[in-house]
Amino acid sequence: METRIPELGRFAEPALLILVSLSDGPKHGYAIMADVEAGTGRPLGPGTLYAALARLEERGLIEALAPVDRRRPYRLTAVGATILAEQLHELSEFAQLGLKRLARSSG
Amino acid sequence: MINLLLRLYPPRWRARYGDEFAAVLEERPLGPFDVADVLLGALDAHLHLRGLGAASQHAKGFAMSLRIGGYAAILGGILWFVALAGNAINDGADSGSSVLGITLMTSIVVATAATLVALVGLSAFQSRRHPVLTWTAFAIPAIGAVLGLLGVVAMAVAGDTDSTFFGGLSAYLISTIGVTALVLGSALFAIATWLSGSLSRAASALLLVGALLFVPAMGGVTGGIVPPALGYLVLIGAILAFPAGWIALGLSALRIDGPRPITLEGASL
Repeated sequence: METRIPELGRFAEPALLILVSLSDGPKHGYAIMADVEAGTGRPLGPGTLYAALARLEERGLIEALAPVDRRRPYRLTAVGATILAEQLHELSEFAQLGLKRLARSSG
Repeated sequence: MINLLLRLYPPRWRARYGDEFAAVLEERPLGPFDVADVLLGALDAHLHLRGLGAASQHAKGFAMSLRIGGYAAILGGILWFVALAGNAINDGADSGSSVLGITLMTSIVVATAATLVALVGLSAFQSRRHPVLTWTAFAIPAIGAVLGLLGVVAMAVAGDTDSTFFGGLSAYLISTIGVTALVLGSALFAIATWLSGSLSRAASALLLVGALLFVPAMGGVTGGIVPPALGYLVLIGAILAFPAGWIALGLSALRIDGPRPITLEGASL
C-alpha cells in the first residue's frame, strides 16, 4: 500500500516511522533512531534517518528546535500531526479490511 | 572515520545537519551497515540538493540492504560451491584444464566480492549488538579478498602457481591465505548472527560448521594433519556446508524482506 505523505516517494516509510516517533513529543536524531528500532525491531540507518528528516523539514511536517549541546530535537508541526493522523487512520482501515478478509478466508 | 564520512556530504548539507549528524554517529559504534547507509545517504544528499533526489535508490534502507545482502549471499554461495567443487575435481585430475582453471579463478574472485557485499548487507542487527565481532568479520575477509585477488592475478600473469611472487610466498599460497581469511571471517559472522538471532540460527550454524570444516579439510588434503581418507570426507563436508550456509542465510534475509505468504482465497477483492 502506498503511503500518502506527500512527495516523499521511497522515503515515505522511514518518514512515517519518524512522524510516529515524534507523535509523543520532540526527540533528537539518536532518540528517534532508537525509538523506531525499538518499535519496529528493524534498524534505521543514520543516513536514511537524516535523508528523511531533511525531506520532512522541507515540507513543513516537522520543525527543528534549538539544539541542546550538539543534539537538535525535532517536533511535529500542526500540518505534520494532521497528515500523520490521516495516514494512520487510512492504515488502520486497511488493516481492518485485511483482517476481515483473512477471517473470512480461514473461517 | 566520522569526520571522513561527514566530508562526503555536500557543504550546504553539512552546514545545516553536520553537527547533529556527527553527534548521532558518535552515540554508538558504527557497523558496516551504518557505514554503507551513510555512504548512500551522502550520495542521496548530493542528488537531492541538485533536485535529483527521486533518482536515488537509498530510500528502502534496511529492506534494500537485506535484499542486496540476501542475493549476494546466494550468488556467493553458488559460486563458492562451483569454485570449491571444481577446484577439488581439477586437483584430482591428472592434468588440470587451463579453461577450467580460469573459470575457477573467476568464480573465486566474484564469490569473494559477493561475500563481502553479503557481509555488509546482512550485518545491520549484528553490528548493533556485536560491533567488534561484526567489523572483524568484515575486515578479515576484506584483507583476504585483496590477498586472494593479488594471488589470482599473479597466477594468471605468471601462468605458474609455484613461482615466488611476494615476500617469498607463491601466488597460490597467497590466494589460499586470502580464501582462508574469507572463511575465517565467515565463521565470525556466523557467530555474530547466531548471537544476535537476527537471521536464521540454523543457517548460521550451517555456515559456521562449513567454515570450521575448512581448516581440517585443508590440513587433511594438503598438509597431512589428518589421514587422507578422513581429510577428503571433511573436505566434501566443507564444500557442501560452507556454500549452503551462505545460501541459507541469503534466503533467510529475503524471507524477512519479502511479502508474507497470505492466502486470500475466497476473499472479495
